[in-house]
Amino acid sequence: MDRRTVLKGLAGAGGLALTGLSAPAIAQGASARTLRFVPQANLANFDPIWGTQYVVRNAAAMVWDTLYGIDAQLQPQRQMVESEEVTDDGTTWTFKLRPGLKFHDGEPVLSKDVVASLTRWSARDPMGLMIKALQQELTAVDDRTFKWVLKQPFPKMLYALAKNNSPCGFIMPERIAQTDPFKQITEYVGSGPMKFAKGEWVPGAKAVFEKFADYVPRQEKASWLAGGKQMQLDRIEWIVMPDPATAAAALQNGEVDWWENPIADLVPVLKKNKNISVDIGDPLGNIGSFRMNHLFAPFNDVRARRAVLMALSQEDYMRAIVGDDNALWKPLPGFFTPDTPLYSEVGGEILKGKRDLDAAKKLLAESGYSGQPVTCIVAQDQPITKALGDVTADLLKRLGMNVDFVATDWGTVGSRRAQKTPPGQGGWNMFHTWHAGADCINPAPYTAIRANGDKAWFGWPNSPATEKEVASWFEAKNLDEEKAAIGRLNKAALDDVVYAPTGFFLSYTAWRKNVSGITKGPLPFFWGVSKSA
Amino acid sequence: MLSYILRRIAATLPVMAIVALFVFSLLYIAPGDPAVVIAGDQASPEDVERIRQSLGLDRPFLVQFGSWVWRILHGDLGTSIFTNLPVSAMIGQRLGPTLSLMIVTLLLTIVVAVPLGVVAAWKAGSLIDRVIMGFAVFGFSLPVFVVGYMLAYIFALELEWLPVQGYTPLSSGFWPWLENLILPAIALGCVYIALVARITRASMLEVLQQDYIRTAKAKGLGQGGILFIHALKNAAVPIVTVIGIGIALLIGGAVVTESVFAIPGLGRLTIDAILRRDYPVIQGIVLLFSFVYVLVNLMIDVIYTLVDPRIRY
Repeated sequence: MDRRTVLKGLAGAGGLALTGLSAPAIAQGASARTLRFVPQANLANFDPIWGTQYVVRNAAAMVWDTLYGIDAQLQPQRQMVESEEVTDDGTTWTFKLRPGLKFHDGEPVLSKDVVASLTRWSARDPMGLMIKALQQELTAVDDRTFKWVLKQPFPKMLYALAKNNSPCGFIMPERIAQTDPFKQITEYVGSGPMKFAKGEWVPGAKAVFEKFADYVPRQEKASWLAGGKQMQLDRIEWIVMPDPATAAAALQNGEVDWWENPIADLVPVLKKNKNISVDIGDPLGNIGSFRMNHLFAPFNDVRARRAVLMALSQEDYMRAIVGDDNALWKPLPGFFTPDTPLYSEVGGEILKGKRDLDAAKKLLAESGYSGQPVTCIVAQDQPITKALGDVTADLLKRLGMNVDFVATDWGTVGSRRAQKTPPGQGGWNMFHTWHAGADCINPAPYTAIRANGDKAWFGWPNSPATEKEVASWFEAKNLDEEKAAIGRLNKAALDDVVYAPTGFFLSYTAWRKNVSGITKGPLPFFWGVSKSA
Repeated sequence: MLSYILRRIAATLPVMAIVALFVFSLLYIAPGDPAVVIAGDQASPEDVERIRQSLGLDRPFLVQFGSWVWRILHGDLGTSIFTNLPVSAMIGQRLGPTLSLMIVTLLLTIVVAVPLGVVAAWKAGSLIDRVIMGFAVFGFSLPVFVVGYMLAYIFALELEWLPVQGYTPLSSGFWPWLENLILPAIALGCVYIALVARITRASMLEVLQQDYIRTAKAKGLGQGGILFIHALKNAAVPIVTVIGIGIALLIGGAVVTESVFAIPGLGRLTIDAILRRDYPVIQGIVLLFSFVYVLVNLMIDVIYTLVDPRIRY
């Protein structure tokens, strides 16, 4: 018996005498069926269509099911759908739901629920918007059958319904899905393997999910969002910990079971603990980036953008993020996620080999740069953007640029980057961010690669060559055509410097050794995870 | 006295009104946009604008302010932009942990700091005095988060006596409630203990030189009686003042302490709301804090009359 137990006994006895309240008795079995998980961020809202943050998507994947699910091979697989048919001209899709699907309120999942859910989703999702633009009608044929009729074929339909990029096509009851997609839902009823315990939700601190007894998993083996989502746990508690050192200590102390993304600095400590396993969490990793504003000098001249690309060392950026752990980063002479089918290095020479600062300076001078301030907005409250920003500031100074370094928070970067005014009038020249590798496996969810000028992502790159290849990918009929299109796209985007990729980096996940069944993936998958006492 | 209290309570209304206007204006002109945070990285400017409209953030300043004040007057602090939950409910969820932390810290401070200050004054110039004042300087200089990490490392990780993080409500038992608060209260209390101990010492030193203390000694009263009954009561006014002012320190310190020990209190709610630009939540919390602060000042004024009968309002 240790001192803590003795203290507990003494104080507990005294406390009970004072308060007359008793402590809950948690049976060992119940404790073993409760997983305490530290998520990457706070679950501040719980509408996966309205709020597109990854943390919302990750929680939503337990509560709401999808028609299709992406598997570990990045292929869409049937999930709620039993079968589908598409007409030869590719314009009419007919889907049939699996029998026995139920929502958490006991109501059956019907086609009308699917129609309402897809209508709401397609108003917010980039791929959904593309389908909506082609849509002739989306109707419920009967309780288990629905039909999507398009004006033109959309070959990536199943991928759109299966993708894990936010917002996913989650299915909600019709009454909930009829909520304006720009307003939050207030009921959290899904048909997924876990129910959301709204009464226990303390935004910023805790979210609880309980097993849904009536969930009917598929018979196939689970693979990411596809297959049989067999829950071994009765209860999952998400415990938000804003301080990484606290999360590390809690994991070591056995107060939590799984920490989604420990920071690189603390991983050596965790690896030394015999009760903790540490491994790469998401093999699709992240792509670091900074974006230059194509609307204003100096980066409205492609030579200035190329000069920066020519001088930057991805190793500098990556080491600033992950430290000395070489297993955590890779150079990335391109825009697409390494080790995925469409990865390409075509046109990537500018990012390879020894960095030539003199040539970069010469090119910068040719662009007409003459010492005007370069407004570089850097969020200091995000360790990744802070690291990227510090490296960029040094790079620009070495290039002889006059850096106006604006150290701020992510909330301010978020609104300032949307400003199209000149840098001296509230606008900007550069900002830093990063993209989940899962969003960069192809152009569909990859907003940052788009270069359609005014409609493009912040920085508003205008590269018709890039846009042409995005369209080619959407029209591609097989993997070879897709690969060819992506190769050309990669080159065009690098030639025009749509944005500057600063490298590919991974992060770890860590869990207590009494937890098993954790799989690598772009989000934490709780099906198949179990815990021993 | 009653009329004084009523007047003081009435006087809080203009203070609260000024705070409300100030906070609202500050947030209005502050950079950042909750709609951008909600919309996420993939959103188009049109999406952001639609969200802004749905939240009513596109309306003119006076309209937004007027509608907010109207709601406040009806007892409605509004709804969080992000969680869609009533601000009052969110504050209610977080009040318990913060209140618990503050009460335990306050008790710890009084129990530790006042005797330390008294003893230091009694033994002024001795080694004991120097040790106590050395501790006070040390406690005052160490940032809360450094003390917090040190305590967590020693008492949670190495000795495994106490948990690292979290909060358990009192309804789950006294020890589960207390064990989560011991380390945070010590971390948060360090600065406070140092401050109160120093003020107690200074105040006591002055009182101990008074004639009536010499008289008490001459009458043969025991040391304890002289120090804690005769001297401490007369030294109490500045001590009570510092304890009151210190509550503001506690509020500020709670923000850091709650983050370090993952306590779901108002401090963390404040930080989260500021980072996300959750205006209704920020406004609600600031109003609450300013109200508490005004109330604490009133309580201190009332306590003055209890410890010093010469004070009358």
